[in-house]
Order: sequence, then C-alpha cells, then structure tokens
Amino acid sequence: MKAVILAAGEGARMGPFTASVPKVMIPVGNRPLLEYVVQALAENGVRDLIFVVGYRRERIQSHFQDGKAFGSHITYVTQTKQLGTAHGIWEARGHLEDPFIVLNGSNMVDGRFVEDLLAASRPAVLITQSERPQSYGVVTVDGKALVAITEKPAEVISNLINTGAYALDARIFDEIERLAKDGKHDLPSAVSALAKRVSVGAIPTEGTWVDALYPWDLLRLNAAALKTTAERRAGTIEPAVTIRGRVTIGDGCVIRSGAYLQGPLSIGAGCEIGPNAVLLPSTSLGKNVRIGALTTVANSILMDDVILGPASVVQESVIGSGVVARAGFLAASGPGDVNIEGTWHSVPQIGALIGEDVEIANGVSAAAGTVVNERARVESGAKLRGTIPSGAVVL
Amino acid sequence: MCGIVGYAGRRDALPILLDGLKRLEYRGYDSAGVAIVGSGLQVVKDKGFIANLEAQLPPLKGSTGFAHTRWATHGAPSKVNAHPHVDCTGKIALAHNGIIENYASLREKLQAQGHTFVSQTDTESLVHLIESYYDGDLEKATRKALGDIRGSYAVLAVHADEPGKVIGARNESPLVIGLGPDENFLASDVPALLRYTDRVAYVMDREMVVITPKGVSIKDSEGRVVNREPQRITWSLEDAEKGGFEHFMLKEIHEAPQAIHETLLGRLANLEVDGFLSEGVTSVKLVACGTSYHAALVGKYIIEEIARIPASAELASEYRYSQGATERPLVLLISQSGETADTLGAAREAHRRGCKTLAICNVIGSSLSREVDKTIYTRAGIEIGVAATKTFIAELVVLYLIALKLGQDRGTLGYDELDRLKDQLRSLPRAAQYVLNKSDEIRALAQKYGAEAKDMFYIGRHANYPVAMEGALKIKEISYIHAEAYAAGELKHGPLALLTSSTPVIAVVAQDPTYEKMRSNVGEVSARGSPVLAIGTEGDKELPKFVDDVIEIPSLPWIFSPVPVSVALQLFAYEAARIRNCPIDKPRNLAKSVTVE
Repeated sequence: MKAVILAAGEGARMGPFTASVPKVMIPVGNRPLLEYVVQALAENGVRDLIFVVGYRRERIQSHFQDGKAFGSHITYVTQTKQLGTAHGIWEARGHLEDPFIVLNGSNMVDGRFVEDLLAASRPAVLITQSERPQSYGVVTVDGKALVAITEKPAEVISNLINTGAYALDARIFDEIERLAKDGKHDLPSAVSALAKRVSVGAIPTEGTWVDALYPWDLLRLNAAALKTTAERRAGTIEPAVTIRGRVTIGDGCVIRSGAYLQGPLSIGAGCEIGPNAVLLPSTSLGKNVRIGALTTVANSILMDDVILGPASVVQESVIGSGVVARAGFLAASGPGDVNIEGTWHSVPQIGALIGEDVEIANGVSAAAGTVVNERARVESGAKLRGTIPSGAVVL
Repeated sequence: MCGIVGYAGRRDALPILLDGLKRLEYRGYDSAGVAIVGSGLQVVKDKGFIANLEAQLPPLKGSTGFAHTRWATHGAPSKVNAHPHVDCTGKIALAHNGIIENYASLREKLQAQGHTFVSQTDTESLVHLIESYYDGDLEKATRKALGDIRGSYAVLAVHADEPGKVIGARNESPLVIGLGPDENFLASDVPALLRYTDRVAYVMDREMVVITPKGVSIKDSEGRVVNREPQRITWSLEDAEKGGFEHFMLKEIHEAPQAIHETLLGRLANLEVDGFLSEGVTSVKLVACGTSYHAALVGKYIIEEIARIPASAELASEYRYSQGATERPLVLLISQSGETADTLGAAREAHRRGCKTLAICNVIGSSLSREVDKTIYTRAGIEIGVAATKTFIAELVVLYLIALKLGQDRGTLGYDELDRLKDQLRSLPRAAQYVLNKSDEIRALAQKYGAEAKDMFYIGRHANYPVAMEGALKIKEISYIHAEAYAAGELKHGPLALLTSSTPVIAVVAQDPTYEKMRSNVGEVSARGSPVLAIGTEGDKELPKFVDDVIEIPSLPWIFSPVPVSVALQLFAYEAARIRNCPIDKPRNLAKSVTVE
C-alpha cells in the first residue's frame, strides 16, 4: 500500500514560524510534525511514501532524504502551483496504484489512527470529533456513509470533522478532473462529489489526531509528544547538575554545574546549558541551542540555533530558529491577546511568539501574547507588546 | 584517478561489480570495463560512462572478477586504452589505478622479449610483466612484477586458471577490503561496498591482498602475513542518494547548515577539538590543493585575525618541491577525501622537515589521516558531487575552531571575546540558511548573468579574495564558463583591459576592513560598462547605488562572511550550470579525488 502525504502547503496561520519552513517541518517534541505521520505509517507497515511537496520543499528533502533513516522509501512529487490538495494528488497519480491512502503531513497521528484508515473499506474518509469544528471541514453523515464535507461552515451543523485522511482508489481522479474544470482543486470537494456517485465511508477513528491551527497549539502538541520522551544522557554533564523525570539529552551537549532539569524535556544535539540554568516541563530545545547562566525556560519550544542570554525568563513561548536574545530577556506568561493574520485570539496562558533570526539586545521584556515576526531587531531596554512586523527595528 | 571494484564469492559477479562501479563513478569516468572469470576469462570494455558499457554487455557468467572506471592520464580515452588490460595469452586481466613511472623502459624490454602491446597505457606493461613471471601462481608473479615498477598503484588482477581468486595490491592509491559471509570484495572506496557489507579493512602501502570466497589474506612487501582488524562503517548508502534534489550538488549545497552543525557538535562549548594541541605553535603553514587550497587561503586570514599568529598557505604540489625554511610551523593539511596525492606527498615532506602535522579531512581512515600526527574531521557527510560544496564550508568551520583554540591556549583571546566568537560560530548554520532561503532570487540572477556569458570575473579582497577564487573555480568546473578571480586591488594592473559590457563581474563586497576600497574597485569596473553582481550585506544601503544587483548575506562580523558568501557563490554556479544544461554532478575531465600527482 502506498501513502500520499500532503506536505506542499505553507501554513500561514502559523505566523512567523513558517517564514522559511513549511508547516510540516515545525518541530514539536524536537521532531518535525511530518515525522509523526511517517512513524505512524511505518508502525503499520506502510513504508512506500509519496511526499507531495512545494513551499520550501528543500527543507523537507534535506531532512528526510530518501527515507531510509526513517525505515521508509520516499518519492518526492513537486506541486509547482499550490492550487489545492486535489491538485496535489493529481500530480502524484503517476506514482500511484490502486488502492492508496492520503494523509495530511501537518497533523500529529498515531499508529491506531493509521490502523483505522487501513481497515476502512474504500473509498472512505476518517472523521473525528472536534471542539472547534468551524475551523475545519464539517462532515454530514448518513449512518456510516458520507453525505458531504462542508468547509468552515458559518453555523455549527455538527462536531464531526474531516481529518484529511482518506482511503481511495482511481475513481477519485475522475472527480478531481471534473472539478478542476470548474476551478475547484480541493480534495474534500472531490470526495464529496464522489459520495454522490458511490458510497463513501465516514469512519470515526479511535486513534490520535491532533492539528496545530495556531502557534500556541504547538505547545500543547509539544507537551503531548514529550510524554513519551525516552531518557537519554549524552555529551558532558558537569558535577552538581540535577536531572528529574524524563529528560533526553542529545549528543555533544554540555550541561554546566548547578543546572536543574525537570522533565519531560528534550534537549537536541550540541546544546550548551549554562551554569544554574533551570529547564522546566514541557520544554524542547532544538540543535545547537545555548542557554545562558541563571536563565529559566518553562513549557516552551526553542528551535535550532537559539541563543538565550543569562538571567532570562521564558515561559509558554515559541522561539524560532536562530533567535538571539541577550542578557535579561523576559517573556513571562499570562493571559494574552494575539493577532494572527488580522484576527485577534484570546489565549489563557501564553508568553511570546518570536520568529526566526530575531535579534534581541539586553534587557528586553515582551508582554504576554507578543508576536515578533522574523528578522526583526530589538534594541536594548525595549518593552514589547502586540505584533512587531518582520524586519522591523524596535528602538 | 580511477575506480576499481573486485569480487570473489558465490553469486554472479557482474551485477555486483556494475553496481559498485556506479557508486564510484564520481572518481573518474572516461571509460569503463569488466573482467569475469567463469568458463575462461571474459573481458568487456568501452569508452564513455558506465551506462555505455552496461548497454552492450553480454550476460557474463562467473563469480570472480573486477570492474574499473578510468580517467585518462596516459593515453586518450578509447576502447583499447580502457581497463582491464589482458596479457598475450588472454588469461591474465589487470586493472590499475595510479601511474607507473618507468613504464616506457619496461615496455621496450617486454616488446623485445616478444610481448605484443595493443594500447598506449602504462598499465599494459604491468600485465605483460606479470605474464613473464607467471608459473602457475598469480600472487607470486604479481609480487615479482610489482618489485620491478616505480610509481603509485592500486591493482586488481585475475587469472583464468585460478578462479575464485582476486589479487589486490596498493602503493599510494587507495584500496579497501570488504568482508562478507562467503564473499569478499576489494574497492578503491567504501561506497562501492556499502550495499553488501559494512565491515571493511584498509590495505596499506606496499601490501598485497588475496581475496577468495572463503577468506582474505594480507601480506606485506616481504610476503609476511599481516593481521588487520576490520572496521565497521557507520554511514549508510542512503547518504549517497539524492533525496528529491535534481543533483547531488544541489542536495549538498542545501546540507551546509547540517554540515556546520555536525562539524561543531561537541567541540564548541569547551573547545574540545579532537586532541589537537596548540602548545608550542608559533606559526601555521596551510597546505592543500584545489578547493581545499582556497579554504587554506581563507584559513590564513582566520588564524591571523582570531589567533594573531602568522599563517601562510601554499599549494601542496608546490610545497613538496620547495626548499623548506628553517622555521618549523605547524603544517595544516586540508583534503576532503584524504587521498589527494599531492597533499599526501606534502604531509611526508612536512615530516621530513621536522614539522608537526595536523590534517583536516572528511573521510575517516583515509590515507592522509594515517600520514599525520592528528586529524580533525569535518563530518560533512559523504559528498558525491564532483564540485566540492558543503565540505568546503565544513573545512572553514574547522579552521575557525582551530583559530579559537589557538587563540584561547595562547592567551590572545580574552574570555569575553572568546564567548562572543563562539556565539558567532553558533550562528553560522543560520547564516548559511539565510542564503539558501534566497534560492529563487539567485536562480533569477544566474539566468541574467550566467545564461549567455562566455567569460566572468570574480573579485574580492582580504579573506573574501580566496572566496572569490573558489566562486570562479565553481563556475569553471560545472558551468564551463571561463572565469578569472582577482584581488580587486590588482584589477588596474592589467585585467581591466579585458572588461567589456559582456563580461559580468561578480564582486564580493563584505563589511570588512576593505569595504571602502572594494566599493571604489567596483566603481572602476562599472565605468567599463561591465554588469556587476555584488554579494553584499543585508542593510547596506550604499552598495546598490554602485552595482546592478546584490545577493545579500546576513550581517555578521566580517571574519565569518566567507561562509554565507561561499554558499551564495555555490548556488549561483549551480543555477548557471543548470540553465546551461551542463552535466553538473559529472563535469567533463574532472574527478572527485585526485589520486595522481
């Protein structure tokens, strides 16, 4: 059985974190989202994968290469125009044989989810219950048969949503071709159209399916992923370091004296954790991160190559790759209002969301819910709130 | 400068040998051939790529044999000059990688004895020489013949009457044994073997080896048996696959951030650089060839700027034959493969002069690492594209580490300064990624500047002068555009005369101590009507007024600018070659590691 994994989209609602990586490559639990899908498939013996890639595809290819490191074989299909998910499948059709499954690369799923998909009689769509159905394709069913998928309905008609995982065969291509003539290129429309001709199963899944819609959702996913973190020690751990709970320490790390590490934590390769630094649950540090002396980080994601200066506090925050914050950076959490793509969201507990390569000088503080977009530069002593545009200089 | 693969086992040898050859094709490729011992000796060879050979192969049966790809040194590429070479009786077949220096006199002598030569190669003398000594034992005859020759070699030989046996011998050309159950292999490089085994043993200079399906025996030049522990290779074949990229070169350019991460891993925080001792080092001599020589030239600036001790760079092929000065610098030898013949020769020469030697190398267990006192590995991963990309970047990273270590140990760097430099080194993966994110923009500029150009000029100053040289080398190697690199200050001493409106100039204008000078040099060029593409720094508002286009690198201290600038020039060369439909991973006349002098 071949699986098509849709990984071409940008994921604009992820704010500054998709400035130079596709959504599927955002790390949670120190692994890109896409790895969870690949792993769940491999657990079920599905190892022949077709990645439909587009936006910043090099980042996916550099990481996954030919797939052997993940126990899979990956063929890449480039979707040159991101018209829609149906168009993505259409581009991959030369590599497909009947039947096949389709999954979204940016959802975190487990082995059970894939098992349910494989057990479904084709054609079928996996459905699940959601607390915010209005953000997804809402599914109307007749018993176990799909009636239609309605994208982001204005009124709540059901709390059953489309997980974006399908078991399909060649019949879908007729629908895709027909809809493309009307300028429609999304897969849910094609599946809804197919349901008018043949019976399409709407199968509820018992497995895990989690979607990160907004950046703060990443923290929830990160905490969930870290629950299964393996205990691992590598590199140099100096005397008088306290390590509690599940903590993964990558190769080549140096953990300096007096550091207090409370798991679950995942520390990537080549990190340097300063003397008397405190890392609290559930935090992931990417590769090559440096945490200064006396700095505290709690329930946050710090991506690769982040440098966090001494005497800083970072809570419930997502810090993008290459961010450099000097001494005394303060991003403490609290209730905050966050603006994403022009819409305000009230988030009960949040620190700061800081895009890649932002430079922050000494003694800067960020109010709860602050968004700093990529490559902004913040001068010393600044007090940040609201949204700082990309490349801006804050005096 | 060729690739060889040998097999003795139970399976059909042919598919294994061809697969192995394909893994080695980067080593050389103007002709290819195969010899199989089954019912008698069967030899097929042709000029061109391995695919040419494969297309015309009859199904050769036999479970002993070897295959060879050749890059012409003696004799033009042709079917007769291709290996294997066969003796007069048609029973002995031989493939050879290297150069036999006294082949002309051997040839005369053998012809006088009645041997008939069909090719112009140095190798053919050796096969006739073995024939003249043969009395039923190929190993003995080969040993005697090798005693008569001068030069470098990795040799494989088989005899029709001795099935199940492949003889190998090495002197100054790489040869590695692969160990399997009921089958054994010989090859000039590990990738040829990885599909079949991860257990290897290296053959040393002047050693001979006999492989059979049952076992391997290694003997030294006196015929004494040598015991050698096999090593396990931990990298895998998938490293060698393209993973969705059009070319290995593009894949490898995009692996720069990863190569920097791996090279820094575990070394930066406490400056633990693989047992390297900076004690007593008062000056450094950097010695290398090709791209690694450009790294050496940049290294001179890095070491002088950061560690504040004198450093100079020299080509390995020149250093070997120059008269040594009386001072004894630390000699730093740089080679991606660690098999570069001139660099190996330079390492020996440095020892002869009583210098301590330190190698920077990407291949664990390479010949160079065995010649020097210490080796620091670049950990860039396997590089398949003939044009070096990520390994050049990784070599620079090791040079930064060495400079920091020297500066720390000699007390020239204060704690604060060291801390700041370490953070800047930590930021290099991002600096490379910043440029990679501009791939689309660079593609468009390669179209504008590279699609039609016949000549290009690369200019830079200071640490970015060798970076400009490396940029020019890349565009020559893979795009076949004639390019010259000049220190920008030298333009007015001649080369300006060559500039016209159809010679694009690629100018590296970093925020370094020469920034103002560089800008006025660019002005001189623009005045001649040449289109100027600058590599400049993000936020430089002045530069765009002086040049036609700018590829921006992130703002970082100038001593680190060679890393992002190199990535930009690599991508530019790649895109220009792609637009011009050049065979990017296998440029004509070039081989990945140059094992002849």
